[in-house]
Amino acid sequence: MIPALGLLIGVVLGLVLHPTVPLWMQPYLPIAVVAALDAVFGAFRSILDGIFNDRIFVISFLSNVLVAAMIVLLGDQLGVGSQMSTGVVVVLSMRIFANVAAIRRHLLKA
Amino acid sequence: MGQHTSPKHRPARTSADAVYRIRNSLRPQISRTQSVITGIFLILGFTITAAIQDNQADTLLSNTRQSDLVNVLDNLAQREARLRQELINLEADRETLLGGDEYAALKSAKDRAAALALIAGTEAATGEGISIAINGTLSAVSLLDAIQELRDAGAQSIEISDQSLEVRVVASTWFADDSGSLTISGAVLRVPIQIKVIGDATVLTPALEIPGGLVDTITSAGGTVKITESTNISIKSVVPLTTG
Repeated sequence: MIPALGLLIGVVLGLVLHPTVPLWMQPYLPIAVVAALDAVFGAFRSILDGIFNDRIFVISFLSNVLVAAMIVLLGDQLGVGSQMSTGVVVVLSMRIFANVAAIRRHLLKA
Repeated sequence: MGQHTSPKHRPARTSADAVYRIRNSLRPQISRTQSVITGIFLILGFTITAAIQDNQADTLLSNTRQSDLVNVLDNLAQREARLRQELINLEADRETLLGGDEYAALKSAKDRAAALALIAGTEAATGEGISIAINGTLSAVSLLDAIQELRDAGAQSIEISDQSLEVRVVASTWFADDSGSLTISGAVLRVPIQIKVIGDATVLTPALEIPGGLVDTITSAGGTVKITESTNISIKSVVPLTTG
């Protein structure tokens, strides 16, 4: 409940403060957001699987974001940045779909 | 990290169990873990909003291909060049107007206004011209033909009058036949009538005397036409100035 409140406050802050994303961060931010979402859905799934561990969640959240950003950074250096971003987004989206499917099976048995 | 009140370490067996676990996880708990996760979620929400707003801010150009961007840049450069040229022209105009010749613009504008007033018939006019006295039957068609001939011959101002009425002929003047008389823009005129024309008399007179012209038409119908050349024809009738 409190984390959900935190999410809400974050959204409100973002809307009110209207931050400008620094230029160097622009290619990585969307990827990092998708990676973070993957970690969040994974956490819900693990709660239902009975294997949720807060330490693992925090670490996986941070490492997901970092690794995703690093892959895109590497791609940028190699000159295939946009393709790499696409690849990362595809993989993370598939993971999100898999996690949501697992959650759905638990909740609806379908 | 922290003491987590973990559910049994096994997958949820029923939907009810699953819903219970989700509810349980959402229950407010004050612990270090919860605050860390809250912090992470706060940053996540902030970042998502920032990323979305950033994306909306410059979708127009960031999704554009390089060649299109080059085109956009080209167009802007051309537009700038055009605007610069316009600026130079306008500054030159300003210089001229501010310079020693400062009444020249005003004078030329006044001259133009005076010339337009003569053509529009809103001002009285005097000058060299001819006076035509017509007696006999005169139809609106032949009068209109005569007016056209006079205009073609360079007539500046034309006035048609009988004993009591004077009508200035302008672009919007109309002619109609009325049993035994002529209606010109609503005014009924009876022969004999007089037409005053300002213009070059040596050009205007032959224009009326051509075969099939005004003189020919009137005299063949038994009327008389008398053309007098004068250096001082005065036309006093005017049409009201309409604005808009």
